[in-house]
Amino acid sequence: MSELYTITYQAENAYDYPVVESSWQFLIIPEENASQSKPRIRFTSSEGSPWELSENGFGFPVIRIRNRHSLESIRFEAEFSLTKQVVNPFDFDPELLEPYEPQRLGQLPFRMRFDNFLKSTPLTCLAAGAPVFSFDPGTGILENLQALNAWVFNDLKYTAGITHVDTTLEELLVLRKGVCQDFAHLFIGIARAHGIPARYVSGYLHQGMGFFGDAQMHAWVEAFLPEVGWLGFDPTNNIMAATNHIKVAHGRDYNDCAPLKGVVYGPGGNRSRHQVQVASQQ
Amino acid sequence: MPKTQPSIFSAYQRNPALFDEVFDREGSILKDYKRLMKLYGKQSIEDYHELNARAKASFFNQGITFRVYSDDKTNEKIFPFDLFPRIIGASEWAFIERGAIQRCKALNMFLWDLYHDRNILKDGVVPLDLVSSSENYLDQMRGMDPPGGIYNHISGTDIIRHADGRYYVLEDNIRCPSGVSYVLSNRGALKRALFGVFNHYKAHTVTDYAENLLDLLETVKPHGVDIPVTVVLTPGMYNSAFYEHSYLAKTMGVELVEGRDLFVENDFVYMKTIRGPQKVDVIYRRIDDLFLDPMEFRKDSSLGVPGLFSAYRKGNVTIANAPGTGVADDKAVYSYVPDIIRYYLGEEPILANVKTYRCGQPDDLEYVLEHVRELVVKPVDEAGGYGISIGNTLTDEQVEKVRKEVRESPRKYVAQPILSLSVHPTYIEETQAFEQRHIDLRTFTVMGQDKTYVLKGGLTRVALRRGNLIVNSSQGGGSKDTWILKNEP
Repeated sequence: MSELYTITYQAENAYDYPVVESSWQFLIIPEENASQSKPRIRFTSSEGSPWELSENGFGFPVIRIRNRHSLESIRFEAEFSLTKQVVNPFDFDPELLEPYEPQRLGQLPFRMRFDNFLKSTPLTCLAAGAPVFSFDPGTGILENLQALNAWVFNDLKYTAGITHVDTTLEELLVLRKGVCQDFAHLFIGIARAHGIPARYVSGYLHQGMGFFGDAQMHAWVEAFLPEVGWLGFDPTNNIMAATNHIKVAHGRDYNDCAPLKGVVYGPGGNRSRHQVQVASQQ
Repeated sequence: MPKTQPSIFSAYQRNPALFDEVFDREGSILKDYKRLMKLYGKQSIEDYHELNARAKASFFNQGITFRVYSDDKTNEKIFPFDLFPRIIGASEWAFIERGAIQRCKALNMFLWDLYHDRNILKDGVVPLDLVSSSENYLDQMRGMDPPGGIYNHISGTDIIRHADGRYYVLEDNIRCPSGVSYVLSNRGALKRALFGVFNHYKAHTVTDYAENLLDLLETVKPHGVDIPVTVVLTPGMYNSAFYEHSYLAKTMGVELVEGRDLFVENDFVYMKTIRGPQKVDVIYRRIDDLFLDPMEFRKDSSLGVPGLFSAYRKGNVTIANAPGTGVADDKAVYSYVPDIIRYYLGEEPILANVKTYRCGQPDDLEYVLEHVRELVVKPVDEAGGYGISIGNTLTDEQVEKVRKEVRESPRKYVAQPILSLSVHPTYIEETQAFEQRHIDLRTFTVMGQDKTYVLKGGLTRVALRRGNLIVNSSQGGGSKDTWILKNEP
């Protein structure tokens, strides 16, 4: 069983003064993986600039554009189509699930294998003694992560326009409001503090079921369960990532997954808008 | 006046507690300096003063300057230069050279291992946390093979001589070590001012540095490139070492570029020229890792080149030094270098390390907090002598401040005993006389594929303020021409 998805991504950038030279990089192509087929890509810009495919520092495909003429605004439109297998997040032998034992997680070979997803970053750093969810050593790792998912979902109120991409957990725990990347960062910070490797995932969420996160790119988390592997948690919606989650990239935090990076040479400010639509056919 | 002491040294005051590079404990001139003293002794201090003034003017006229950041207004300053050279004998140099090469090779193997199999971490020789917590470790470099397997193409190893007469390595600089242009211009200035003295000594030339550097950089060109195009990438004219960047480009005969002069297309790097784009194969960069590519690292960097890291990852361009080398010249890693040498080379370190307390470790932290007055406390990730506090010069208030800072972020600090750097007679303008001043030595090692070169010379830095131990140019230090003697036939 599979879904056929068509995703459109639109972005528009406008500048106060004409910029003379500009480069953009889009980290928006759905990843090819066990449940996602290689996507068909259509990409256009209002300037008709040629685009090229490259890879970022972690090997995820990016679209890159360089403009050598003056412009005041530019629009981009990308369309991806792919098939996604129906995903059952619990498709593993429950016998493999392990209890939460900090001591075992703290062993050197395990920490070494995942150190990039265990170390804290400026966006996922939790102050010592922050009033957050604490793992229960009496239950399993999966139960703890599901409880964490629910805790983050209940602790933060989904509100757009309050936080920004550089909001730290310290600020967030005061505001208690935010959008998907804030939910993801909080989950990651708490999981890592308990010795569970966790990574930030950016992608698209198929709406239609009233989930939060439409019309923009979505963010969720993958946490590593020993013996089972990486499992997706979506704390913004208190669900497991499954068929409706179309993954683009993962990284240590938002900064590794920023969908659009632009470098322009010219004075003045800029305004930027994005829009995302996900359509499915069965 | 003792017979051995020529007239320009008549006012020289020798503190017997310090290791003097020119005089032994009894006050006799050491062998390598005897002839020099005879030659300089023929001059009066007035002659010397005039020569010194001329040399200074020539530096200024040539624009051999640097910038100091801490001043309210940044100023172009000349690097104070002294016409009385430092001399290192052939066998002593051979020892230093072997030691520097050994260190650089071991650090290169360490970097390869950290970004590949990480055996040294698995074996518990170096703690994982030291590496994971380092801001200079680049996850993007995991599993990447830099062309030729070289990370630290250019290393600046800082060596001092302690009161015990032994050489110690103070730190390894393997990001963008600077200072080599001063070595070359010091030699030029001394030749112009006192050409005759060179007839009496067989000293190694230093002017072949640029040639060797280019040669070795070309050995690590990307796969499939026949005759590589090399450039020097500078942050621009406001950088403190801009003079050096332009000097190296000029003497290597390659272009000096800023980030905006380069662009990346289909993962290849090009330079904009009036004849159209020119592909670039080797970049000797003098900008920090995080500014290299705004698409990959700091997005606000206007110094870098969008897409450069992708080109590097694809193996289409060589970046020297490789991104991510900074993790191995972190001052907390420094204390593990002897173990790193033993681990990879199975040899004992040739050059000694200074005992280093790692504040990240509870026992060491406790010791440091109790002995701030007897220690030099250094931040692990600052270069250029910034943020260093020397215990015996601090007020009570400053001691408390250091304690507080170390306690708040212990991982950020290391501490070492206060060393007594050797001293060298140095001409001091204010008193118009020679006085003892502390010195160190920065050596320059260049590694290419199966080829290593150490500049036979180096930058002898002088702490110009009496008693000051920090010799960095950014902290008001000066320098001396450094002669390495050839073996007597």
